[in-house]
Amino acid sequence: MSPGVIRAYILKEFRELFRSRLILIVYILPTMIIILFGYGIRMEVTDARTLIIDNDNSTISRDLSARFEHSRYFDTRVTSGMGEQEALKRIKQAKVDILIIIPDSFEKRLLHGEKTEIGVFIDGAFPVRATTMQNYVKGVIYDAARSLTDKKPTNLITVNSRNLFNQSMRDEDAIVPGLIGLILLVAPAILSALLIVKEKEEGTIFNFYSSPIKKSEFIVAKLVPPLILHTVNIFILFLWATWLFEVPFRGSFLLYWAASQIYIAISLGVGLLVSIITRTQIVAIVLTIIITIIPGFLYSGMLMPISSMSGESKIEAHIYPVMYFNHIIYDTFLIGQGLDSPKNRLYLTILFFYAIFLILLGSRLMKKELS
Amino acid sequence: MIGTFFALVAKELIGFFRSWGLVAIVLYSFTLDIYITGAGIEMQAKNIAVGYVDETGGGMSGKILSRLHMPEFQKPVMFTSREALSRSIYNREIMVGLIFESDFEKKLKRYGRTSIEMLLDSIAATQSFQALQYLQNILLDYADIGIPVELKIHKLFNPNATTSQFMAMAEMLSVITLLGVILTAVVFVREKENGTWDIMLLMPIDPKLIILAKSFSQVLVIMGGVVIATGIVLFGVFDVPLNGSIAAFFLLSFFYAFTSAGIGLFVAAVSKSMLQVAQLSILIMMPLIFLSGAWTPIHAMHPLLQKLSLISPLRYYIEGSESIFFRGTDFADLWSYFGGVIVLGSVLYFYGFRKIGRLF
Repeated sequence: MSPGVIRAYILKEFRELFRSRLILIVYILPTMIIILFGYGIRMEVTDARTLIIDNDNSTISRDLSARFEHSRYFDTRVTSGMGEQEALKRIKQAKVDILIIIPDSFEKRLLHGEKTEIGVFIDGAFPVRATTMQNYVKGVIYDAARSLTDKKPTNLITVNSRNLFNQSMRDEDAIVPGLIGLILLVAPAILSALLIVKEKEEGTIFNFYSSPIKKSEFIVAKLVPPLILHTVNIFILFLWATWLFEVPFRGSFLLYWAASQIYIAISLGVGLLVSIITRTQIVAIVLTIIITIIPGFLYSGMLMPISSMSGESKIEAHIYPVMYFNHIIYDTFLIGQGLDSPKNRLYLTILFFYAIFLILLGSRLMKKELS
Repeated sequence: MIGTFFALVAKELIGFFRSWGLVAIVLYSFTLDIYITGAGIEMQAKNIAVGYVDETGGGMSGKILSRLHMPEFQKPVMFTSREALSRSIYNREIMVGLIFESDFEKKLKRYGRTSIEMLLDSIAATQSFQALQYLQNILLDYADIGIPVELKIHKLFNPNATTSQFMAMAEMLSVITLLGVILTAVVFVREKENGTWDIMLLMPIDPKLIILAKSFSQVLVIMGGVVIATGIVLFGVFDVPLNGSIAAFFLLSFFYAFTSAGIGLFVAAVSKSMLQVAQLSILIMMPLIFLSGAWTPIHAMHPLLQKLSLISPLRYYIEGSESIFFRGTDFADLWSYFGGVIVLGSVLYFYGFRKIGRLF
């Protein structure tokens, strides 16, 4: 390899990046993704639109309604006398999420110790929210019930829960570190694939085929600019996470940096492989997005912890690099064990060899001739 | 006139089927991609890894542990010490750690109440919260609260709360948006790159007709994909319920396909190369998809984003489709969704149409 040739080629790549304004997307895209997803994904349910039909209008039923009104989880409206069908229609029109019907003579029956029931209807179109809302409603009503009676409950087992790593169960803490993993997988891959496929589509790849430049020099020259440019993103994304989203950072920054740098190399390897099998830029971009975004979400632990997986999905999670990186990322942000944990050391090593493997594979498969 | 129109549409369709890369991507996106998302993304807490330390020597703790089973929980794993349990949680192999202290059962017998110590990995906040709720519900079964109130909870439209059906539908709508924009933009920019676009505009055919025919051909491709995806993936694989009318859904999709074609026209008008198409589409698509409520209901968003979501046509499309498939809303009540898609669609389409039709 001749350093002079590589330097000249890299210089040419940078000049083209600036000229085609591709440089903008290198920095706009990651920031856009982290801000949109970071603010956009809210799993926690607040202000569920609740309609209470109070057919009893007694002290107890009013007390129950008040409990809903004072909770930030519900955005409550209380009426009486609305028919069940009419109310259900509101849910169908997506104007109401929860419908609670308190029957008449609710208080009377309760005081007499007779059985009575509260009807709850929940819009189940968005399943996770439905389950969460169901649990909220249960919680409020059981709480109210417990405070009503002076009879001491027997056989009561409570849970003394200590929330580790994400004490107040913030969505930001859960999602933002995973987003960094997603971005560092998708963005460098797109850029490196584009830099190579662009030459194929425009025909300038023949310069490479016919000139004495070596394959290794070509690959180094194509991969170094994205590596340098996206290294800056490691720091930008870190700032967004800790400053804008206020995610705590408990681990070692050096580990975060090192792991991210290796992960970018893996992403470049993916881009290199994509550029070998595609011929047009549009196909290269869509293909890169398809093969990176879905695993990037599935195996990130953002939505579902790896420990909850079973069967094939557990095996797939171990095949993709996503799980290894995200384990380290969540550790540096929220857990803070760092390199003391053997698992982190193992995963970092796996990532390292993963990167080498992908790039070597790409270099072997690439042909310096017309195929 | 009609003849020319269909000749142009046919030309574009042939061109589409010849580029096998695009055909493969369209087929993949409308089938496997939707399948993978639907089958893979599970947001409900399921199959939770539980570990426990039992200092009581069995009895009540054993009874409680035997209640933790599939599908919510994996078989609880025993640890001999708290340190071992906590190490496993720190390595994220166990999500819920339960500690039964030595006086756990004694307290229950003597005072009628006792507590379990729980260590919870709460990184995946929603799932952790649900895990806690599951456990509390199980424990509540043992308690005798002594109140005769029965809660009758009905989850409407999707009683088992299966995420896969919803995710599959949302993913299909995102795919429609993505491909609608990209395919349309590609047809025009390819001609631009080849230099044939100016020639097309100079031909003795009305340029409006050319633009209409070109974008219509891509709308047809999208609609073909929609039929495949709903028929095979949504109904065939995931058994998505259909409580409303399928005709309404296809009609809405048709309008929506035109809307995304309109965005595609705009993208094509302002970009000179495929590279710019790709960049611009991503920059436009991402906000559209994430402001649409596919991931988060609109009213749970930041107030500013809520306002912005009003201009995302995907928002109306998703809410409308959700209503058709799951809620079974009457056709007459769907007007707001149709209205939103059609109004935004006409504006976008008209704007793109004007922009691409200009020579030089």
